[in-house]
Amino acid sequence: MSKDEVLGKKPLVILEKIKENLERLNEKMEVIIELQRHDSKDVPQSLSDAPLDVMTLLSMPDHLRKTAMTVCRAGRATADEISQQTSRARAVESAYLNQLVLMGYLKKERKGRKAYFYADKES
Amino acid sequence: MGKIIAVHSYKGGTGKTLLSVNLAATFAKQGKKVCLFDLDFRAPSLFAILKLENAECWFNDYLNNTCDINKVLIDASNKIPSKGKLFVGLANPATEAIRDMSAKDRKWEMRALGRLLYLRNALLNDKSFDYLVFDTSPGLQYSSINAIVAADLVAVATTGDRSDVDGTRRMLRELYNLFEKKTGIVINKVLDYNSKNRQEELYDRIKNTYQVPLLGIVPCFCDILRAEGNFIFAQDKPEHPFSKLLDEMAKKIDANEVR
Repeated sequence: MSKDEVLGKKPLVILEKIKENLERLNEKMEVIIELQRHDSKDVPQSLSDAPLDVMTLLSMPDHLRKTAMTVCRAGRATADEISQQTSRARAVESAYLNQLVLMGYLKKERKGRKAYFYADKES
Repeated sequence: MGKIIAVHSYKGGTGKTLLSVNLAATFAKQGKKVCLFDLDFRAPSLFAILKLENAECWFNDYLNNTCDINKVLIDASNKIPSKGKLFVGLANPATEAIRDMSAKDRKWEMRALGRLLYLRNALLNDKSFDYLVFDTSPGLQYSSINAIVAADLVAVATTGDRSDVDGTRRMLRELYNLFEKKTGIVINKVLDYNSKNRQEELYDRIKNTYQVPLLGIVPCFCDILRAEGNFIFAQDKPEHPFSKLLDEMAKKIDANEVR
């Protein structure tokens, strides 16, 4: 008899939800940690209507530019996909990506358990 | 998979267009399928060099999203004697169009970059082009940086002039490096390039000054000035030393020697 049959589907669904929420919480904490690590003065202030154009890319600190450019090249990607391109840890990329979202340069979209990042061409 | 090459420089008049046209022609001479784009929207010149009059659609229109890339491409293979395929995308030389391009905002430039990046799919993948060559405007400005970001390799043209050397060095450090671009340098209009000593001295100096791979050293050829832009040396005068130099540059690019 499998685990599903013993417990029914519901507890598993609930556990999945909890895991998902924990992952989101984790990502938010990573952003906070990263923001503290890089003194906020070397990060350009958020401009609400700032598109991710080349001059903006040039003005970014190196660590963010690398992430932002990888997103530009990929068009749309998860933190995991970006980390494969940059050879940096997934958690680090996740933090940078979320930071770029906070700064208004990237958009984030959730599809199930995956979060996709992309440069919003219409912003 | 083909490659995109952006030809750029810090100052004007360093020979970007001469280099772009002849490099494209050299690739075509080798039987490759090449497209040359005029991205110098402030001073379009490709239409004049290739003696083309009117385009159904300009490259400006493609970037403005009002025209498909296939309507922009002009088959200029009949302008060259060899068997390769040479296509061109022209910048609109009308004063109104130049004014219009210089007044674009950041959002437009961002979308233009997206459309430049899309050429990789549309032309290199789908139409199996071997090379796209971007002839850009000099200096640090949007259209040129977009071209640099979209390219696989930047060929930087420079001369020995003091005003040029300093700026080129800064650009290498603060522009191409930041975008992690492969960069090769071409030193143009070099005088007294005959003696072995002079060549060695120049090699060392370039290596120390720029610290990037050298694509080629082009002596100052009076023949080029005398031609008044009427020939494409790489095609019309294949035995000329300039054409031979271009063959070598093309070989280096083809063999991925620039990293």
